[in-house]
Amino acid sequence: MNKWYKMKHADMQKFVSALTEKWEVWVPYRIDGKWEFGIYDTGRDLDFPESVIHVSLKNLFFPKRRPIATYDENSKWSLKPVEPEGKPRIVIGLHPCDVAGIEYMDKVFLQSEHKDVMYASERKRTVLIGMLCSEMADNCHCTDRGLTPDATRGMDAAFARITDGYLLKGLTDKGKQVLRSEYLKKVDEVPDKKDWPAGRYVIASPEEFMEMYDDKIWHEMSDICLTCGICTYACPTCVCFLVTDENFKGKGERVTVWDSCQLQSYSRMAGGHNTRKTPASRVRNRTLDKFAYSHLRYGQISCTGCGRCVMVCPLKRSFPQLGARLTERIKDKKKGKSKSGARSKEA
Amino acid sequence: MAAIELVPKPVTIKRIIEESRDVKSYVLQMSGSGKMPARPGQFVEVSVQGYGEATFAVTRISKDNQEFNISVKRIGHLTKMLHRAAPGDIIGVRGPYGNSFPVDEWKGKDIVVIGGGIGLAPLRPVIDYVLEHRKDYGKLEIVFGARAPDDILYKEDLRIWEDDKGISLYKTIDVPFEGWSGRVGVVPIVVKDLALKPDGKISIVCGPPIMIKFTAAALRELRWPNDKIFTTLEMKMQCGIGQCGRCNIGEKFICKDGPVFSLDQIPEHAL
Ligand SMILES: Cc1cc2nc3c(=O)[nH]c(=O)nc-3n(C[C@H](O)[C@H](O)[C@H](O)COP(=O)(O)OP(=O)(O)OC[C@H]3O[C@@H](n4cnc5c(N)ncnc54)[C@H](O)[C@@H]3O)c2cc1C
Ligand code: SF4
Ligand code: SF4
Ligand code: FES
Repeated sequence: MNKWYKMKHADMQKFVSALTEKWEVWVPYRIDGKWEFGIYDTGRDLDFPESVIHVSLKNLFFPKRRPIATYDENSKWSLKPVEPEGKPRIVIGLHPCDVAGIEYMDKVFLQSEHKDVMYASERKRTVLIGMLCSEMADNCHCTDRGLTPDATRGMDAAFARITDGYLLKGLTDKGKQVLRSEYLKKVDEVPDKKDWPAGRYVIASPEEFMEMYDDKIWHEMSDICLTCGICTYACPTCVCFLVTDENFKGKGERVTVWDSCQLQSYSRMAGGHNTRKTPASRVRNRTLDKFAYSHLRYGQISCTGCGRCVMVCPLKRSFPQLGARLTERIKDKKKGKSKSGARSKEA
Repeated sequence: MAAIELVPKPVTIKRIIEESRDVKSYVLQMSGSGKMPARPGQFVEVSVQGYGEATFAVTRISKDNQEFNISVKRIGHLTKMLHRAAPGDIIGVRGPYGNSFPVDEWKGKDIVVIGGGIGLAPLRPVIDYVLEHRKDYGKLEIVFGARAPDDILYKEDLRIWEDDKGISLYKTIDVPFEGWSGRVGVVPIVVKDLALKPDGKISIVCGPPIMIKFTAAALRELRWPNDKIFTTLEMKMQCGIGQCGRCNIGEKFICKDGPVFSLDQIPEHAL
């Protein structure tokens, strides 16, 4: 099935409802004007946004609070690993930038000497049915990252909205299996091809970013940032976590919990020594992590261009904006307009 | 399916050694057929159930890899609980993690070990290794500094090293102390006074950040090149396996790319 098939809007509802018999099905819901994935209740109206879904898929694969072991608080040692579980799952309606986010998480958790088996299990149980974006939202800038809003790479199946329904296409065996449905009709139609604009945020190379390590711009940038960390929770590729024990009524759980490099506690060591005490050092860490460190580690910068950090920021800043600002400074420096500031001693 | 790496395995506390007023060492025995094949410089994550985890250098490894030591300075939440533990108690451990001192590449060289306080902990396996493979190495020199006589660790080992004709041991305390007739002065000053030459030598330095920084400066003054000075770095850690993100200096994860580095491998601000 290497071509596109058509499904009527009303049939899509029936098709997805039928899937819930065997699968846990996740679809986008609009809650208070914002899009978020949730488990599909049979019969509920289905709708899909033209592009970005406000809340990323990170939580589905790497939950914000994840019990990894349990124990009986009254014993000295009874820690038992939590076995990965969960029924097969389908996510319908994710976008190309969501795939890019998942691919980045794969690099951190799977391409590791110590593969995260819980993450691997969440990945394995999930079929990804992506939706081609029909427009770029205000903060979308995936095209600056070499992504195309209607690309299907990394999806098991893909669909596009058309006036009277949807065009669908199976891409992997898993995806083709899911799309085996009486509601699909062979057609000659294909989704419209568009020319997508690029160049919203022009970003310098990782090497050029690294040269900015000692620049005073980090102080300027931290002056316009609350270092509240909300951008890191929204970001599909920010996967920092801490490991901690939570005791409740005799039952204990060891959990991994999302953490944020923007918070002061992140690098504080026992005894109070902190290698990233100042907001400037923390803003630098995240910005360089997105645009340089990630590239040096995994051969790919970790900003997908989804724009979620801008959407959640109380000041409507974004890391790509900061990156672009930094890029301006790099250009100025090359022209000899600006001098670098005093060196900061922090990591 | 195998359990997630982040879940520790139980070990039994076999013996506890009171090293100094705030440091205790623990001889830990793996359960069943479990092994701890740690190389010199590697570390482990240690758990007390209900209190979380903390990172400790492996300070001694038994030949069969079934027992290993850690030394713990009481400083906070988890270390307090470890100090309350008794022989026979079960705690959790995972690892070994991180890279190690390239001891095999150092064959034929003199080894200079420079430790400050608990910083001697990750260096002791190098000393053990060199003593076990005596023929393969040149001279062994050990400079060890502590704040006060009460803070001196590994007193048993120090006695043995002191009596060993093949080892030059220089013990020092930071400031004069009643009843102390030995050397006085902080480690970097002692290093300068000893005028340790770099020829045919490798030095390994560990201690509080300030001690590492000034000792490195002292060695450079004595014309030691950066690639002959090794250290083991400390950053806040959680996972120990390059995933939780926090222990980075630039793009390097201290837990995975380190903790052992020669000074030419890290930026100046890392010290
Ligand atoms: C590679 C490496 C090797 C090490 N080797 C050794 C060794 O051999 N021996 C040794 O003794 N130590 C060693 N350490 C240091 C050791 O890991 C720490 O001393 C240990 O983690 C302290 O744990 P704690 O729970 O007792 O301290 P705590 O201070 O309770 O630390 C727990 C964490 O809680 C947080 N915290 C503390 N206070 C506050 C607060 N007021 N508000 C918010 N957060 C707070 C901090 O982030 C702190 O790091 C090593 C560290 C590394 C990275
Ligand atoms: S960033 Fe690109 S892929 Fe993501 S939602 Fe916007 S247009 Fe679609
Ligand atoms: S930094 Fe911002 S735009 Fe880039 S991936 Fe993260 S949330 Fe999306
Ligand atoms: S301790 Fe988690 S990345 Fe190094």
